[in-house]
Amino acid sequence: MENPENRQSDKEGFVRANDLELGYRSGAKTHRVASGVSFSLFRKELTCLMGPNGVGKSTLLKAIMHQHPPLKGEVWLGNSPASHLSEKERAKRVAVVLTEKIATGLLTVRDLVALGRIPHTGWWGQLNPVDQAKINEVMELTSISQLAHKNVSALSDGQRQTALIARALAQDSPIMVLDEPTAHLDLSNRFEIMYLLRDLARKASKAILVVTHDLEVALETADKLWLMDARQPLLTGSPEDLMISGGIQRLLPGKKWRVDAVTGKIIRNTAPLPCKIEGPEPLVSWVKNALRKNPELNLPDTIFLSENPFSIKATFSQNQHRFDSISEMIRFLQERLKQKISF
Amino acid sequence: MNKFRSQRLVIVLLLCGILWLVNLSLGSVQIPLKSLLERIAGNPFPHSSWEIILMEYRLPKSLTVLLAGIGLSLSGLQMQTFFRNPLAGPYVLGISSGAGLGVALLTMAGTAFGIQVLGNPGNSWSLVGAASAGAMGVLILMGLAAWKVKDSMTLLIVGLMFGSATSSVITLLAYFSAAEELKLFTIWSMGNLGNTGWEDLGYLAGAVVLGLIPALFAIKSYNAMLLGETYAMSMGINFQKLRWTMILSTGILTGSITAFCGPIAFIGIAVPHLARLLFRTQSHSILFPATAGVGVLILLACDTISQLPGMATSLPINAVTTAFGAPLIIWMIMKRSFSEEF
Repeated sequence: MENPENRQSDKEGFVRANDLELGYRSGAKTHRVASGVSFSLFRKELTCLMGPNGVGKSTLLKAIMHQHPPLKGEVWLGNSPASHLSEKERAKRVAVVLTEKIATGLLTVRDLVALGRIPHTGWWGQLNPVDQAKINEVMELTSISQLAHKNVSALSDGQRQTALIARALAQDSPIMVLDEPTAHLDLSNRFEIMYLLRDLARKASKAILVVTHDLEVALETADKLWLMDARQPLLTGSPEDLMISGGIQRLLPGKKWRVDAVTGKIIRNTAPLPCKIEGPEPLVSWVKNALRKNPELNLPDTIFLSENPFSIKATFSQNQHRFDSISEMIRFLQERLKQKISF
Repeated sequence: MNKFRSQRLVIVLLLCGILWLVNLSLGSVQIPLKSLLERIAGNPFPHSSWEIILMEYRLPKSLTVLLAGIGLSLSGLQMQTFFRNPLAGPYVLGISSGAGLGVALLTMAGTAFGIQVLGNPGNSWSLVGAASAGAMGVLILMGLAAWKVKDSMTLLIVGLMFGSATSSVITLLAYFSAAEELKLFTIWSMGNLGNTGWEDLGYLAGAVVLGLIPALFAIKSYNAMLLGETYAMSMGINFQKLRWTMILSTGILTGSITAFCGPIAFIGIAVPHLARLLFRTQSHSILFPATAGVGVLILLACDTISQLPGMATSLPINAVTTAFGAPLIIWMIMKRSFSEEF
């Protein structure tokens, strides 16, 4: 059932802030990390917060969690500013999954998930039937019911991350904030976790904010991207819009790297290869990939590629050579370079 | 609490009961278990000296063991969870060193400074007073430090430094003191569970209950702390409040126990580990009763060993707890992966 306090109009984000100044105070000193930060985080959407290290992504998360309240401005959680809420009320609105190590090896997965009910239980932490039902529901939703009685220490990294997400879900808050939830996961789990989050945003009507460095996964799963860099305030938009407008390039400060406008892959800015390469895709791309890694080589004038079986025909000014693999060609070019130097 | 854990708790409590009777029965004068049970049923002892031994010495001592076992092990549990450190114990915040300093000033400052600073060292109440004053002094200092210091690791280090600082003062006092005074202090530092009469016991019980109440109200917060400070705060736990709860609860518990019994070694560090090992959980709603039960069991066992029949006097309790505690800790370190739990 929807808590009337948490209702909101569709235009306004559930979490929103205008012209925040982010940073923290230690003693009499204030350290300003970012300013002019404005955003709206919507329910039923998965938003990825991206940006280079040290631009203040964690500080922004902590401002939303109200652990480092903004130096200036207010973060609104639903219909109230975070600073007007008690700790318990905030806990009922924002749940988190953090990067820090957890020390719960002797807890079962169910015990871990049950910890999420802490803001809802009495002083002894006794779980009532409502709590039990919620725990069952979120374990079902994240497909970890069969792990319920396993110890957390026996889980794989991906399962542990899923259990931590289930714990955050059990907190029953409309907002979920996750700090690099895919950082130590293998390739398929990175996708699994992000698709799970995307699913949860829709099914459970959550506003989910994920800090990630994984552009490939973010482009594929996020509804919105928030880009942060050192120079300008937050840039927000759908991943596709940001790809088209070129805003996505802010992820890569400096001139050395860029995001490929077609594939979304990160590539190094290099001069075009001084060599004509002909043949079908994707063969041409991979040959280019290999040649770019070896900029010192003297390239042939033209390269012809053919499939089935794969072969390379390289023509130099006087003669022609055939290779069956890319590494064979590279080896040949390296030999040729050595001979040239020794002469 | 599942069936396996309830069963274990019942077993621990039953063993406590049996060991308690054994503890009352054994000693330089042995009271047969049968007579003891008859005495409980209401029949008087055949020897009137047994009555005096039981009522004036063994019964108050065993109740002291009960209170000290509960208080020290629950202090240790709170410290280990709060600091997320398997080596934390009731004395890491310098409480025992503070109490030790109080007692050292009482017993040894007379010769060291040429003046008697505090009361008469022969009087057991002035010992308790000096130890309490010392423990309270360190507790107040730690409170001030906690005010200034934000993170728990720094607080732990400050506590250890306070401990070292007071120890160095004690060393100086010991260096200048006369032999018999030094012995008085050394004997105090070996721990003594048998010095609390009925009147003292009332005060000790009051203090232990007072120390336990805030801890019981923090069970949920300690569970949240298993995930660390930031997670705990994200679940609505007031971290500053928990920190004060921890300092006050462990301060009152260990301060009062140390005042009456001297510093009892090892129980506070080893028992929470043993409880986790036996009950296979980190949930504090189970660990609180489990740790208290195991704490009583172990300290009763140690006390019984220290007064085994055939010996004219009883051994110092710390010699026994350490002789058992050290191998226990070594065994646990070999067997368990602490990295999963801390």
